[in-house]
Amino acid sequence: MTDATISTGQRLRRSLGSHEAILFVILVIALIVLDQLTDRFFTTSNLLNQGRLMTEVALVALPMTYIIITGGIDLSVGSTLGLCAIVLGVTWQNVGLPLELAVVVALATGALAGFMNGWFITRVRVPPLIMTLATLALYRGLAEGISEARSVRGYPEGFYILGQGEVLGVPTQLWILLVAMIVFWVVLEKTTFGRALYAIGHNETAARFSGIPVDRIKLIIYTASGLMAGLSAVIFVSRVTTTRSDMGTGLELDVIAAVVLGGTSIFGGVGTITGTIIGFVLIQLLKNGLALTGVKGDATIIVIGSVLILSILITTLLERRRSRD
Amino acid sequence: MTPATATLPPERPVFDRVRRLFGSQEAVLFLALILLFTIVGSYNERYVADRNLSSIFLGNAYIAVAAIGMSMVIISGNIDISVGSLIGVLATISGTLAVEGYGIVTAWVVPIICSVVFTSITGALVAYLRMPAIVVTLGMLSILKGGLISVTDGAWINNLPEGYGLAQLKPLGIPMPIYFMVVLTILAALWMRYTAAGRAIYAVGGNPEAARLSGISRERTIMMVFAVHGVFTGIAAVLFATQFQTIQSTVPPNLELIIITASVVGGVSILGGTGTVIGSTLAAILLAAIGSALIFIDVSAYWLRAVQGVLILLTVLADLERRRRQRKAL
Amino acid sequence: MEGGTPATAPILKLDGIAKSFPGVRALKGVSFEVRPGEVHALLGENGAGKSTLIKIISGVYQPDEGTIALDGRPARFASPQEAQAAGIATIYQELLLFPELSVAENIWMGHAPRGPFGTIDWAKARAKARELLESLDIHDLDVTRTVGSLSVGNRQRVEIAKALSHNARILIMDEPTAALTEHDVERLFGIVRRLRERGVGIIYISHRLEEIFTLADRVTVLRDGEYVATRDVKDITTDDLIAMMVGRRIEALFPKMEAKIGEPVLEVENLVRRPMTRGVSLTVRAGEIVGLAGLVGAGRSEFAQVIFGVTPAESGTIRIGGQPVRIRSTGEAKRHGIAYVPEDRGLQGLVRPMKILENASLAVLGRLSRNSFIDRKAERQLAVDAVRKFSIRASSVEQVVNELSGGNQQKVVLGKWLATQPRLLIMDEPTRGIDVGAKSEIHRLMSELAQQGLAILMISSELPEILGMSDRILVMRQGRIVAEFPRAEATQEKIAAAMMSDVPVAGAA
Repeated sequence: MTDATISTGQRLRRSLGSHEAILFVILVIALIVLDQLTDRFFTTSNLLNQGRLMTEVALVALPMTYIIITGGIDLSVGSTLGLCAIVLGVTWQNVGLPLELAVVVALATGALAGFMNGWFITRVRVPPLIMTLATLALYRGLAEGISEARSVRGYPEGFYILGQGEVLGVPTQLWILLVAMIVFWVVLEKTTFGRALYAIGHNETAARFSGIPVDRIKLIIYTASGLMAGLSAVIFVSRVTTTRSDMGTGLELDVIAAVVLGGTSIFGGVGTITGTIIGFVLIQLLKNGLALTGVKGDATIIVIGSVLILSILITTLLERRRSRD
Repeated sequence: MTPATATLPPERPVFDRVRRLFGSQEAVLFLALILLFTIVGSYNERYVADRNLSSIFLGNAYIAVAAIGMSMVIISGNIDISVGSLIGVLATISGTLAVEGYGIVTAWVVPIICSVVFTSITGALVAYLRMPAIVVTLGMLSILKGGLISVTDGAWINNLPEGYGLAQLKPLGIPMPIYFMVVLTILAALWMRYTAAGRAIYAVGGNPEAARLSGISRERTIMMVFAVHGVFTGIAAVLFATQFQTIQSTVPPNLELIIITASVVGGVSILGGTGTVIGSTLAAILLAAIGSALIFIDVSAYWLRAVQGVLILLTVLADLERRRRQRKAL
Repeated sequence: MEGGTPATAPILKLDGIAKSFPGVRALKGVSFEVRPGEVHALLGENGAGKSTLIKIISGVYQPDEGTIALDGRPARFASPQEAQAAGIATIYQELLLFPELSVAENIWMGHAPRGPFGTIDWAKARAKARELLESLDIHDLDVTRTVGSLSVGNRQRVEIAKALSHNARILIMDEPTAALTEHDVERLFGIVRRLRERGVGIIYISHRLEEIFTLADRVTVLRDGEYVATRDVKDITTDDLIAMMVGRRIEALFPKMEAKIGEPVLEVENLVRRPMTRGVSLTVRAGEIVGLAGLVGAGRSEFAQVIFGVTPAESGTIRIGGQPVRIRSTGEAKRHGIAYVPEDRGLQGLVRPMKILENASLAVLGRLSRNSFIDRKAERQLAVDAVRKFSIRASSVEQVVNELSGGNQQKVVLGKWLATQPRLLIMDEPTRGIDVGAKSEIHRLMSELAQQGLAILMISSELPEILGMSDRILVMRQGRIVAEFPRAEATQEKIAAAMMSDVPVAGAA
């Protein structure tokens, strides 16, 4: 009896580890193959540039990991990004606020958008999928309504440091991403907040009955999701030097793909920041590497879809075989 | 009466049934639709003119058809977010076949077969390998979308042969898509209500463990649901492809979300186990009618989506409130 | 002997059944038989192999060794459907119904009468469902109502009707009374006797020994996956049964020890939270165990959850240690020194896929952390201490709670809450679904805690437990306290009478 129970415990831990391990192996193989195919891939400047392109998805994927760990989901992140970008442009150009203040307003808009999701999810008990499906339409609609399809250009030169500049030879936004990754990793792994996220994901009722402020925690993570979407928006605008209302369309799927690819279970309770990081790095490198080897831009997402399905499939099959042994 | 039963609420079958009828999501949607047509119609007569009505129905019947299959998938406790991309791919297949001269019927039928094959693969991954549907279909979405763009580069398909426009036919003066929408909704509703296979969908979505012990195979049921969903998606794609003189071979943006929204607003619980296809069809019409109404009451086109978002939210909230009150009344 | 005639040949006979799972030997050399028209009880501690045995009988598992004979002919059930077709129906502990569907739809799920074209003939299904229910003397159940709106007792009746719709000759009932009110238990017994008269063989699994003595004809005891004995119920005593189950005689089931009763810890006045809590007033003192008796649905757990802040009060006062307090969340309740060991361990008490370690610390994470960083060492120490103190049987604190037995899981919940160093401990059905050995350990713990000055409010549906453990007994009905008995004056009859009286409670809506 005892033998069997120990081994199931170990099995569980092993299988959690193994998803990240499988991903890592895929990542290494991909790097080697891509390096063989083109010599423009494995260069410092290319890799750093890919980091730039990856940042917007990555920043949003971090809070998304938390949300999916609690068994929730946030489909509205792409629309929130669009809304924040528009708010940034409009408050700066049309309202005439200083750019610094406009950035703050944009971030606050993101936080507010996330807070609204969280408020309805916790207070009115709207299922997260439905709530964020509704705000996906609503926030994009607000972005379209406010902007009336006009784009904003001509930001001051200094603003582009964020999205196009470098600090110590590394793209500015990668520093921001690095800080965000560390913060999100530490909070999930080391703090009571992180532990509470897992508990909520596995059994929300028991978490509530243990005196954990479940609603407050959910409110915080959805607000964080909106805030990070706002931050992504600012970086995005700085990178592409323009603001349009359709920015971030479809972002939610890229983000969720990265998180799920990283081993976070859509059923809640399981997931790590490390996995998510490998997830978004892998996606970006595949996209880039394939593009460099001559695959047409959008076609690379075929590979991402296949990798997503295959990695989950392999994990499922391995887990099955192990539990049969 | 014995003490324990005395504390239970009295069971009132007739009252129960009447309340169930008027408290149903279908009734609410139907009333909302009538109200919308009356109010907006009195404000601007052109809203209820034949031309506008038929454009509301015609342009959105394929969404209603796709929402039937989607509702079944959601009721079974799953979801399919690849449906928009699939419709894009199937429409392109249909158009290409027609242009290449394989015959019109082939161009209508082959996409439906392809659709069933494709959703069956998804179904097999979900049912037999127990992968979460949202993940599988997220992957499928990327594969389909990427595949479509890389093969066609978003080109337009022109010069469609004479007689290909199935959705443009008007037997007895009523556009073809409306026949499809009405007939398929009724057939699906009957099938869900009166056949063992239909009931099995609710059982698997509502309580999989109980379903298993009742001798209902989860695997077979989910497999079947996805295959049937493929039929509806295929038909929806053909209706979509044949509505204009040209087909743009890209994925209609956000189509999967519009379809899922129709199912959810129609009263299909995202948690599985409840909902009807009549509700989802009414919701698909309502959503389209709202969009059209906004134009007729002079809301700027730019604000259209925002207002739609608010309305979706309100519908969902109203539905939650209704369910809460029903539970309290018991 | 009422009911079964010993001379009749068994419908079902199992011989030398063995079954292993990876690393675990669940059953070994087990024999068991059921005759028509008998109630055959299956008894054993948790983990004794009862569930495995009934799963073999109902076709969920296939035995590794041994034979199954149905009507004297060898049989093999490859799936639950095959067993069902052979006339074996099972009513599981957690009722497996579809809450959104109607009574008739539930009864006929999977085998409804068909009309032409293979469609389901609902009129016929409803009529036949009504017939079935009436044959069980159930006349107050509308077959068109959704099952979700029924009481637990009624749901169980639907399950029984569903079993009979398969023309069951053998009915397996797994802990059928676990969630029932006394009244529903009586009705269930009536139904079981009726089935026995019809010649149905009933396999009855229960932890409640008194039920076995009221209902069963024979009893088979399993221990650690092995067959112990089969006896006629009329020839044995409770002590015999317990001895057979645990392999040793337990001196007293309830070792209640005297404790010094001190100042009031919890004082509640006219507490209201509609619809279930309608003006409750009570006091629990330090060192005192107050038993809260009542039928299921009397509002006891709901009241406990008002005190614990799950559903905050609408009006009334709560005083903790003499200080009036407002409790609006479980976190606040915890800060006021209230601990709640809930009724539903799996759902409310534990995060089952998490380790013992993580469960034990879940309620005290704040204390175990510095600037919200968890102190892993202190956390581990806490869990190790709890495992030792409550003699939790586990391979290590890293073990996932899901793998523990019911009794050990309950000890983890208890350990988790005692780590908060509460002043008031509310225990809701503390020993439900727990085997006899673990049960008396939990009772001993409660007694010790009271001796150390903890105030304990115990909700229980088992009258012997209430009588054995409580210093004072309160009876709740329709959301109010309707009677109070000091330990010395309380009897099973008095409490039961107060619980079930049909005099309307004054002022209750």
